[in-house]
Amino acid sequence: MPINEPSANLPLADVLRAANGLVAAKLIEDWALGGALAAIYYVEPFTTYDADIFFIPADKGLTAGIPAIYAHLQSQGWQVEREHLVVRGFPVQFLAAGGLTEEAVREAERIEFEGVPAKVFRAEHIVAIAASVGRQKDKARIEQLLQQADLDKTKLENILQRHKLKLPML
Amino acid sequence: MKLEMRQKLAREPFAEKIRKVGQLIRLAKTFPRRAAKSPPAAK
Repeated sequence: MPINEPSANLPLADVLRAANGLVAAKLIEDWALGGALAAIYYVEPFTTYDADIFFIPADKGLTAGIPAIYAHLQSQGWQVEREHLVVRGFPVQFLAAGGLTEEAVREAERIEFEGVPAKVFRAEHIVAIAASVGRQKDKARIEQLLQQADLDKTKLENILQRHKLKLPML
Repeated sequence: MKLEMRQKLAREPFAEKIRKVGQLIRLAKTFPRRAAKSPPAAK
């Protein structure tokens, strides 16, 4: 099926394969799945309208190599819609990692999804990132992870302390 | 939904959960939320 043909299913394998392709093309150093889809790795499924791929740039300049990433994916049939790259009708954001999110990429869990090797943020990092952002939906995500994920409390405390973060009142 | 049921869903394989997210997205597109009707104006 051509890469820009809308899919009835969520085309996550295509997203992960493309991220691996960016590493192979030396456009990024490393990457991991973050955001809602990473949370869903640990909690019940819920509706989300995009995928967040956090990457460690190979290009340490101001643009983090984003123009080259867009050009590479567009040459493979991906489309651009505002801040998203779109594959099979599903929007994907490529976000340059730094600080806490860079640590989350480096320490992400290795998984395989439909035969595609991938990395997904650890639950403790997802909680810490949500605590650092602090919107209402981030508080809901923290609550969901605390209730449903098998969190390593010591690891979470350590991350929160090192990044000077506190869990919000729930 | 009960917490036990939600925890059971959380333990399902990732591929199965992603399949369900796809279903939820399709449902949301088929039946988009409508804005709540405003109450009739007072006469």
